[in-house]
Amino acid sequence: MAGHFWWSIGWRNLGRNRRRTFITAIGLAIGYFAVVFLVGWAEGLQSEMIENGTGLVTGQIQVHDLEYRPERKIYDTIGGRDGSDVERLVQEIAADPAVAAATPRAYAGGLISSGEATTAGILMGADPQRALGVSRLMRGLVEGRIPEADANAIMVGTEMARQLEVGIGGEVILVVPAADGSMGNDLYTVSGIYRTGMTDLDGSYAVLPLSSLQTLAALSPDRIHEIAISTVDPWLAPEAADRLAAQLAPLGLDIEVEPWTRLRPEMLDYVRLAQSWYFIILAIVFAIAVFGVANTMLMATFERRRELAVMLALGTTPWRITLTVLFEAFALGLVSLVVGAVLTFPLLVWWHNAPPDLSWLYGEFTMFGALVRPVLRVEYNFEMAIWTGVALLITALLAALYPAARAARIPPADTLSGI
Amino acid sequence: MDRVDRILRGESSHGVATMDVVTENWDRSMTMEMWSLGTDYSLIRITAPNKEAGTATLKAEDDIWNYLPRVDRTIKIPASLMMGAWMGSHFTNDDLVKESRLVEDYDIEIAFDGAREGVEVWEFELTPKPEAAVVWGRITYQVRQDDLMPTWARYYDEDGELVRTMTFSDFRVMGGRLVPLAMDMIPHDKPGEHTSVRYSELEFDIDIDEDFFSLRALRSRGR
Repeated sequence: MAGHFWWSIGWRNLGRNRRRTFITAIGLAIGYFAVVFLVGWAEGLQSEMIENGTGLVTGQIQVHDLEYRPERKIYDTIGGRDGSDVERLVQEIAADPAVAAATPRAYAGGLISSGEATTAGILMGADPQRALGVSRLMRGLVEGRIPEADANAIMVGTEMARQLEVGIGGEVILVVPAADGSMGNDLYTVSGIYRTGMTDLDGSYAVLPLSSLQTLAALSPDRIHEIAISTVDPWLAPEAADRLAAQLAPLGLDIEVEPWTRLRPEMLDYVRLAQSWYFIILAIVFAIAVFGVANTMLMATFERRRELAVMLALGTTPWRITLTVLFEAFALGLVSLVVGAVLTFPLLVWWHNAPPDLSWLYGEFTMFGALVRPVLRVEYNFEMAIWTGVALLITALLAALYPAARAARIPPADTLSGI
Repeated sequence: MDRVDRILRGESSHGVATMDVVTENWDRSMTMEMWSLGTDYSLIRITAPNKEAGTATLKAEDDIWNYLPRVDRTIKIPASLMMGAWMGSHFTNDDLVKESRLVEDYDIEIAFDGAREGVEVWEFELTPKPEAAVVWGRITYQVRQDDLMPTWARYYDEDGELVRTMTFSDFRVMGGRLVPLAMDMIPHDKPGEHTSVRYSELEFDIDIDEDFFSLRALRSRGR
């Protein structure tokens, strides 16, 4: 009961000067809002980067022959020279709960030529339907359609189309050094043009049906270079990769199963760096707030020094005085937290679902080779939201320590006599 | 050096050669017929194996075109791919263009004059002229003094690392000249791999003009 009593005093003291309480609470609430929102934006930017960096071509997990990376020689297909049972591999992988889609791919470097113009490109042989689930490249189609399986059709980027001066229905010649040492060459029809916004990519990647590329590069249908996998959540990729590696081990193929965190370590490093900044942001914001609250509490206790002196004179221990001030600060913190949450969460939900698009202000930009849209996308980070709430309450208590200590040391007689 | 070049080339030439390419991943043999005119023009047409018969490479001044009989098209090799392998061999497209211009692109000095294994030779050191757009940091070239026959050429990169060696052998009189009938290119960064070219026919100063080396001719002769 006693505890409840001091609580009530602390709480009621907040009501003495409602305007002051409100302004202080708003200050703390904005601090809360700032931290949660900044973290949300940072997470949004990271998600955007990871999704685009892994979603365009890479996928979140890739399976290769152990020898394949980094040289990416045409000979180093999954299962070596003899290839592997591609269909079975893909199905086993697709059965994993974290896997959203898996697609086999083969690559060849070669020349793409149209009329007078010739350019070097990376030819990606993909299963057109399955690749849709893994690669956003296929969804970046701006003209025409995705090459149909088994057709001598090709999809090129806008930049390559520009360099070669071809449009839909145009004819290109592909020349590749094939796996048997010959020069594979054939005529292809441009069936689609994609755009990712990354000029390098749009100028170098061309997609054709897997079987068509295998014929061109003298690879048997069992020979592929890569299985690209998309996961339901990028952060599930490392775990899923290890699981898949263990699951596929009995097949006896010399393969590696690598998540994006190992394929693109620079992205992970960036995310880690950004996350280490969260607590620094938090510290800076509340370090500023702590002085505001301390000022308010000093004012509140100074204003009440006669009242406190009476309490002391009536036998209240200095510790109880300290406690009431701390309770008051804690109650202020709670109020601020409620205000902050009311301010933050609706906006967070709103901007998460409909991020403001700043394309009119900035163009798209790239980060670590990943295209990032200029949208203020926010992601939820409830863990950080809770930590920020805890930090807010600690800030309020910290700010009250000095005023509380001063309040406890008020000399009752001198104060009451008006000195 | 210039005289060596002239001997090997003549004003114009026509020959038949086989090229054997051995790589880590495959071995193959091709037969080809080749023509050249001065230093600016040459044409090489593959005659075997069947899969590639008719494929031709035309070099006209600084450009290289490939004719692909399967699609009946010619494509020009872009500058960025001049260092790419020619027909899967250890020769590059650049070799076809630049080989004829060593005298123009490099400063040539005699680095050694004397006997090597009982044969009087010169060893030339070729360093690129400052303005020359070349890929090698240095080339050394050994030539026998008595008959001006080259014995080897060593190609170094810009860091002074030996990248590949070309050796010449089987010196015989063919088409009225003493020529090396065999050339072997050994890339040092790929152990066990090599490309060997061996002439089976060679004639010089034939009746041929620039029209023979046109794109139109490249296409029409292929059919």
